[in-house]
Amino acid sequence: MSKKNILIVDDEPDVVAYLSAVLESHNFSLYSAENAEAGLKLAEEVHPDLICLDIMMPKESGISMYTKLRRTSELGDIPVVIISGVEQAGEFNFRKFVKDKKIPPPDFYFEKPIDVDNFIAEIKRLLSRRKQNKTKGRLS
Amino acid sequence: MNRPKLINGDISDHWFYRELFQQVPFNVAVIDRDYNIIEANDNFTDYFGKWQGKKCYKVYKNLDYPCLGCNARLTFEDGRPRVSDESGVDQHGKEAHYVLHTAPLREDRHGPVKYIIEMSRDVIETKNWQMEYQILFDRVPCYITIIDRNFKIIRANENFRNSFGDVTGRQCYEVYKKRRTRCPNCPAARTFRDGKVHHSDQVGIKKSGEKANYVLTTSPLSRDITEIAHVIEISIDVTDLKKLEKEAIEAERLAAVGQTVAGLAHSIKNILMGLEGGMYIVGKGLKKNNKQILDQGWEMLERNFNKTTSLVKDFLSFAKGRLPELEMVNPNDLVQEIVGLYQDVAGDVGVSLAADLDRKIKKIPLDPKGIHTCLTNLVSNAIDACRMSDKKTNEVCISTADKKGVLSFTVSDSGSGMDSEIKRKVFTTFFTTKGGQGTGLGLLTTRKIVKEHGGKITVYSRKGQGTRFRMAFPKKRLYTLYNKDDADNSGE
Repeated sequence: MSKKNILIVDDEPDVVAYLSAVLESHNFSLYSAENAEAGLKLAEEVHPDLICLDIMMPKESGISMYTKLRRTSELGDIPVVIISGVEQAGEFNFRKFVKDKKIPPPDFYFEKPIDVDNFIAEIKRLLSRRKQNKTKGRLS
Repeated sequence: MNRPKLINGDISDHWFYRELFQQVPFNVAVIDRDYNIIEANDNFTDYFGKWQGKKCYKVYKNLDYPCLGCNARLTFEDGRPRVSDESGVDQHGKEAHYVLHTAPLREDRHGPVKYIIEMSRDVIETKNWQMEYQILFDRVPCYITIIDRNFKIIRANENFRNSFGDVTGRQCYEVYKKRRTRCPNCPAARTFRDGKVHHSDQVGIKKSGEKANYVLTTSPLSRDITEIAHVIEISIDVTDLKKLEKEAIEAERLAAVGQTVAGLAHSIKNILMGLEGGMYIVGKGLKKNNKQILDQGWEMLERNFNKTTSLVKDFLSFAKGRLPELEMVNPNDLVQEIVGLYQDVAGDVGVSLAADLDRKIKKIPLDPKGIHTCLTNLVSNAIDACRMSDKKTNEVCISTADKKGVLSFTVSDSGSGMDSEIKRKVFTTFFTTKGGQGTGLGLLTTRKIVKEHGGKITVYSRKGQGTRFRMAFPKKRLYTLYNKDDADNSGE
């Protein structure tokens, strides 16, 4: 079975190193970008199976990148996991944001620091769900 | 009828006196010692009705007995004229108000008073005005008191009496503030002294014991300002407004605390993530006995530990509220110092750092440590903005100027610039465009230091073109702060 590709987009090299180390040990292939622009470019190139995305980044925020991803047809169905220090309920209401923008919500939201076991379990669940959806799509 | 006689004939026989008696614009009546009206003019008849054969008290007031304290009686006794304010009934039975003048009529100058002439004039209009004025005075939605030169209240409106109790004859400071002595900086005293209107914010105590905040205006109650006998005090109760203002400030403060805590938590979470990552990688290195992985993890731990230190330091310097320690320094020297410090850092990332100094600037009171922090923050931001720019060559320039009594430092860069959204947030707690690299406190601390110097910081920026931050310090304020410092230090 081929390795699944995961793209990490975060301006903080330590976060990239940490997530890479965790995901590598679970046999995933990794790509990383330090800003939204590079992340979007890389996503178009490699079509990852899942994207881990930070919110607060210099130049362009993760929110802007997420909106662009969802509005690009060939990237729109890639599961996106937001990993951010921004408190989802208090500081940024993602649910309201996606509703206003009329785009689907992210597949999961992790607040930093992450719980490694939960993180891996969620990544695996999202990847298998995507696989099932794709199979269903073919059958129909 | 026993009519009075003129020396040379009857009064009604002489056309001149008859006309005078009839045309004088008063109600005129003549009465004898038994209160009989023996003569009256047409005005009197028009106003009070038929009088012939009637007693004056019956005609004036529809009474069956003489009035208490009758002025006519007194004038009969002592021969002196009198004036009184009277209420009675007119010929239609309606309430009448009139001013009544009584004067003695003698047959010869030193003889006994034979008759009394009574002249009255309707004042019902004036009475109505008085009543309206009284209602206005009492009900106007503010407190009004009139005090004399001894600060004694001689009149107070109903609104005031309802809030402060029975007051007439008491000293204003006693009533307004429950004090035994006059208030310091008494605005009424100032008005008595200079005849001018004065405004002030005051806090008093109502009769219920509640605190009352009011805005007081004192004004002279005299046309002649050289001799002011009375001062009118008009105050508006702003207690509720003050309460609202206090609540708004408290809400703002709590919101600021909440925002600060949330921002701090966000920064800490990022650092924690880095520390956890470091630990994870160290663990992995130990497990695999791989020195390279171990080193990577250890570096991460060190880096995030250092970040914790700088976050705490920045936060403390922002939160401390330290007063500027002013000393005479040359602003150009401070700039040179920063240029020396950042020359290499800027050069490493392809940014040229230059200074454009106004050489005429002399030493001036500044807090060198504070200004150093401000310039450090602005220059490091400027270099970062250049790094984020797509341009091949970038420059940062620090300039000084001394114009129109204002000393200014300007840090400009040719970097990425800011859009209006970022410009709006630039002085917000924990706002950073540097992601995990910034604490979001630098500009906030800079603004705080500038404000502590009595100065102002402004930003001009265009996306893609660069940014200019200008710190402006009015020199007058710097010297005032400096002299205050000296006075404080010398124990004055």
